Amino acid sequence: MPNYSFRTKVVGAVIVAASAMVAAQQPAPQPPAQPQTQTSVGVIISDSAGAQVRLAVPDLLALSADRETVEAARTIGQVLWDDLHYEREFYMIPRDTYKSIPPAASIGTVPYERWRELGADGVVIGTVQKVATGIKVELRLYNVKAQQSIYGREYTGAAANPRLYAHTMSDELHESQRSMRGVARTKLTFSSDRNREAVLGTVEKREVKEVYVADYDGANPRRITINRALNVFPNWSPDGRSIVYTSYRTGAPDILISNIYAGTMETPSKGSGQNWLPVFSPDGTKIAFTSNRDGNPEIYVMDRDGSDVRRLTNNPEIDSTPTWSPSGTQIAFASGRSGTPQIYVIGVDGAGIRRISQESYADRPTWSPAPYNEIAFSARTGPGFDIKILTIATGETRQITFGEGTNESPAWSPNGRHLAFMSTRAGRSQIFTVDRDGRNLRQITREGNNQTPNWSQ
Amino acid sequence: MPKVAAQADAITGRRRGRRVTTSLSEINVIPLVDVMLVLLIIFMVAAPMMQKGVEVNLPVTRRADKLTNTDPLYVSVPTSYRQDRRVFINQDSVPIDLLGERMRQSLQGRSDKQVFLRGDGEVQLQELMDVFGRLKEAGVEKIGVVAQERRNQ
Repeated sequence: MPNYSFRTKVVGAVIVAASAMVAAQQPAPQPPAQPQTQTSVGVIISDSAGAQVRLAVPDLLALSADRETVEAARTIGQVLWDDLHYEREFYMIPRDTYKSIPPAASIGTVPYERWRELGADGVVIGTVQKVATGIKVELRLYNVKAQQSIYGREYTGAAANPRLYAHTMSDELHESQRSMRGVARTKLTFSSDRNREAVLGTVEKREVKEVYVADYDGANPRRITINRALNVFPNWSPDGRSIVYTSYRTGAPDILISNIYAGTMETPSKGSGQNWLPVFSPDGTKIAFTSNRDGNPEIYVMDRDGSDVRRLTNNPEIDSTPTWSPSGTQIAFASGRSGTPQIYVIGVDGAGIRRISQESYADRPTWSPAPYNEIAFSARTGPGFDIKILTIATGETRQITFGEGTNESPAWSPNGRHLAFMSTRAGRSQIFTVDRDGRNLRQITREGNNQTPNWSQ
Repeated sequence: MPKVAAQADAITGRRRGRRVTTSLSEINVIPLVDVMLVLLIIFMVAAPMMQKGVEVNLPVTRRADKLTNTDPLYVSVPTSYRQDRRVFINQDSVPIDLLGERMRQSLQGRSDKQVFLRGDGEVQLQELMDVFGRLKEAGVEKIGVVAQERRNQ
């Protein structure tokens, strides 16, 4: 478990550095050199009554009057509020109730008494200043009762994407105040027909599906593939630098890896048979996938470069949609060997196969990250599908969507607290996120048809 | 029924274009829903001997129920409300603008969405309506008006 949290921290840093590399205009928040005291208990706000800690995040103070700075100050406050609200760790006081409270004159002078009247335990006050290299953002969390600053951060970077400063602060606040990993800097990848081009070549009059990435909240969508074919089932590499997906660009499905920051592409399966549904192993060195190279869809594992291909399953029925266990030692998949599709688990060495689902029809398993030992899947519950979660230890299943449209393709957030999935509840197929208890539903995409989401580490 | 009548007209060709008046056979539930949404149960309780909250001159009544709630949430409206527009949640002074949000916070984790209003007898109903409105918005379902029971009757 400590190993896990260490790894995720490093990965988070890589994502930020990487996004700065690919697009020069992206800001790269730099934590200040000041020593951190977040291990001390004294800096954590807690409510004496044991209720949720109540936080307020007003607009930041723009220290320069130009439009860009003023806009950034407003955006960072709103996005930080949204990010903190998303994890449901704090009671976030609605922003429309702050109107009567005068903005802080500077970052050091906070009208504590007014915030106390509003019921706030903590308030985040910040400033944005224009500097030669872009903007400087300073954020402080004040304990309203003790009337002191308990956590501070200063970031300097480009002004193009102020949301990233808010995301970074949110993740660091969750880390320091709740010792948990937030998802504010993570990204979603999905397949979309939003550019409305028609497919070239073999599949006529079908719309192109290209792979896109977007922030976890749907902001900053970007297109990754440009091959005018069907590109579906994208899956992040653990370092967040590559996306592996199924592409029909040659007519038959094959596995492609796009290294999104380097701008290069790999074809690891080297065109043997039809290959689809690739997923990276938790350490990023292997890819599990489905292939019919031996005549019938079976689960295979290969090294990332395409070498050392091993077949795990051997059954005349279809075996597909592999997903790795967090330890990388087991693979869950859907198989029709008992009549209807059910979820099975098998060791990566091909041994110890066992059936774990008892549904009428269960498809698209995805294994949750540690510490939750759960598998989310789509189960047929009527005309459409609903998302269900199976706890492996107990074998118990709970349902988190209830027949509003069809709900398919669940994908876990890296902290295991949320799921992204495709739903038709709002008309066309769109990406939604929901918490693992079925609450906090949010629509992420709105343009075109979007499907098969996957959440970056 | 109305459908059949209209068809008969069409077949005979007579009275074409004449509207067939029908009555709506379903209960129109919308006004009922409206009523439910604005419904706020108001009842009267006698002030307990031991009181928390700020000092107000409670209105006097002849009969009132006993207060049985073990952990009541009080909202007090003193006469000074007219000048400073501030009320009290238990002991805590709160400007009226923030009453809704503070009440939402106070109701978090409470099973009873019930508030006991300790209004000064001098406070006008118009002023209380503003308080009621904000409590209702915050999710309060029942308001107990606290009164002093007249003893020498």
